[in-house]
Amino acid sequence: MAVEGTLRSGALAAHLSLNMKLLGHNELAGFGGIGEGINMQAAGDGRRILWLAHESAPKNFTGVDVTDPRNPKMVVQTDLPHADVRSNSLDVVGNVMAVAYQTKKWGLKPAGMDLFDISKPEAPKLISHFDRSGPSSRGAHCVWFADGQYVHLTSGAADFEPNDPKDDQFYQIIDVRNPSKPVEVGRWWLPGTRKGDAGGPLPRHPRFDGGYRPHNTNVYPQRPDRAYIGYIDGGTVILDIADKTRPRLVSRWRHSPPFNGFTHTVMPLFNKNGTIIITDECVRDNGEDWPKLAWVVDGREETNLVPVATLPLPPAETFIKRGGRYGAHNLHENLPGPCSWRSDHIVLGTFFNGGVRAFDVSNPLQPREIAYFVPGTPRLAPKGSSQVNDVFVDDRGIVYAVDRFGGGVYVLEMTI
Amino acid sequence: MVRDALAGLIPVSIITGFLGSGKTTLVNRLLKRPEMNRVAVIVNELGEIGVDNDLVEVSSEQMMLLNNGCLCCVLRGDLQETLRDLFVKRRNGEIIDYDRVVIETTGLADPAPVMQTLLTDALLRDQYRLDCVVTLVDAVNAPGQLAQFSEPLKQVALADRLIVTKTDLVTEQALAALTGRLREINPRAPLRVAMNGEIELAFLVDVGLRRTHADLEEVERWLGEGEEDEHGHGHRHDESVQAFVLRFEQPLPWSAFTQCMEVLTALRGPDLLRVKGLVNIEGKAGPMVVQGVQHLFHPPLELAAWPGTDRSTRLVFITRGIPRQIVADLFAAIGAVTTRAAGAKVN
Repeated sequence: MAVEGTLRSGALAAHLSLNMKLLGHNELAGFGGIGEGINMQAAGDGRRILWLAHESAPKNFTGVDVTDPRNPKMVVQTDLPHADVRSNSLDVVGNVMAVAYQTKKWGLKPAGMDLFDISKPEAPKLISHFDRSGPSSRGAHCVWFADGQYVHLTSGAADFEPNDPKDDQFYQIIDVRNPSKPVEVGRWWLPGTRKGDAGGPLPRHPRFDGGYRPHNTNVYPQRPDRAYIGYIDGGTVILDIADKTRPRLVSRWRHSPPFNGFTHTVMPLFNKNGTIIITDECVRDNGEDWPKLAWVVDGREETNLVPVATLPLPPAETFIKRGGRYGAHNLHENLPGPCSWRSDHIVLGTFFNGGVRAFDVSNPLQPREIAYFVPGTPRLAPKGSSQVNDVFVDDRGIVYAVDRFGGGVYVLEMTI
Repeated sequence: MVRDALAGLIPVSIITGFLGSGKTTLVNRLLKRPEMNRVAVIVNELGEIGVDNDLVEVSSEQMMLLNNGCLCCVLRGDLQETLRDLFVKRRNGEIIDYDRVVIETTGLADPAPVMQTLLTDALLRDQYRLDCVVTLVDAVNAPGQLAQFSEPLKQVALADRLIVTKTDLVTEQALAALTGRLREINPRAPLRVAMNGEIELAFLVDVGLRRTHADLEEVERWLGEGEEDEHGHGHRHDESVQAFVLRFEQPLPWSAFTQCMEVLTALRGPDLLRVKGLVNIEGKAGPMVVQGVQHLFHPPLELAAWPGTDRSTRLVFITRGIPRQIVADLFAAIGAVTTRAAGAKVN
């Protein structure tokens, strides 16, 4: 037998790493399937609590004490009311946590967003539920809550009827300055997606119809008047939100087709090169929708976004064979909070069975891979491989990568 | 957050030494150490390595996986190709995540081209760093070989670490004569005696700078500072190989420094066996790390801060027939014509 073949089969069981060292691992009491909401709370008693939204029912969210990164300890794990709802996304500001709820079908509840008081991490207390259920609504898929005042939400609503069922969520700005009474202050949807829109319905992606709706809706303190939105098959959308009651389109960059859609995250780095990293989520197993890439885009002129490179990934033919999904997904989003690490030239992303990978984009024309960690296949992994879903880096430079199905959270030290 | 240009690089150790000096024995012993469980060893022939059969998990003509996690592979084509190929396979999950590379050179090899490859190949420099050149010296045959051939002399001159082997086969006087001779050739490389390849691991690893926040101890270890004085052999020199240090108390303009090195490499490149050190450049917060082998230099790299209070430029030269004074005079002359370097006097 060829040595390389033997080593490859062995490698699936073992971690692969470069400049990332496993410090700790927690399978989260057997519920190690985590979605795409990770944030860290600096608790009043000095502990660091990592909050994780689960990928699917039965669990809602989990809090892990990572004060000692070598010994991550679960402090709380909560349940969803039923199996047809998922939380998937959360964000933390101070002692307030926003959690998204999305149902499997229209009309179900709870659909929308909860705000929790997490002053006592062991006992999160519900402050309010913001209902977004409706006859054409699954509720909320994603929250962005960074300034303590507004939640930028991807959600449906009772008064929104889409032309196509896949276009049932849109961008909403929710005022949570009074957390017990969240109020919608503004909204934007891609023209043509709502029933009655002029120019609709929109043509669908010819091979992979992912829909026209927002995924991540990022707003940074460096540009509080801009929302950077991955709009699934609608590509990249930049909105002017100086007037929150009337978000206005600044620019849109659409690269699918010919590419395979599902634009997920749009993250400006606010560096001198105007670099914006844009990911397309891989949503099919075994390379069916490859290539799903992370784009390096020159955004110096925000109305004329120019792709200049993609983050260099290991060969698809090798990783596709590992099983499950292989391609881009979430990024560490340089969250504004006190517990988040930030860089204007180092980017970390998750690539499902390609693990978590770090890149240096100092030269945006030639991004370089500088570190990676691919967990060994978790026990009972349904896809036969690890599926790293999301990543968060804390202000100590500790990397937290989560598995989509059962691997839980991997705590990593990065030496770059 | 600023990236550390050194921290993420995989260290490479070069093990060199003349025929029969015990390189294979050393590599074999190293592979059995529990700390060396993720090492990729590049050899010329797998058969030669002589690893115990019970240690070999699986083997092909090109590669051998050991059950302690190490990997041996054959040098194929050139070294660049082998190192690149290993890194690609590592990234693809086809081989172990090695965290160190050990290259065993052939006995007749001049280690300079191997070092130059690591210092200057742009693709390799992104992934690897030269950690240490270990030269083994056979106590029985070395005196004759050093007198007769040029390669052993160069292997000793280029070393960061010297290991004398087969000392049980020579008299104490002969050993003292040999170590004295080695010190003359390369006074800064720490020297140890090894029996049957047994040597403390710490002597051989983490010699090169491994982070830009290097502390004084790490810099001194890399430059071999303290070695020559400790042994009382400072400033003695071999008739052909010379080892010396230049120090400048004042910062140098970058242009003056590069002109000096350009003149030296243009006129005497082949004889400039090895140069390494820290340079205090005007306007820079930290020292510039300089490393060269003959005419080829690693691109200069700035450390985050000066380690310790001594901010003088320290350059270690190992040359073939270029005396200290010539280099010192060159720096003084170029310094003199570079107006801003008026204060850069050679001590």
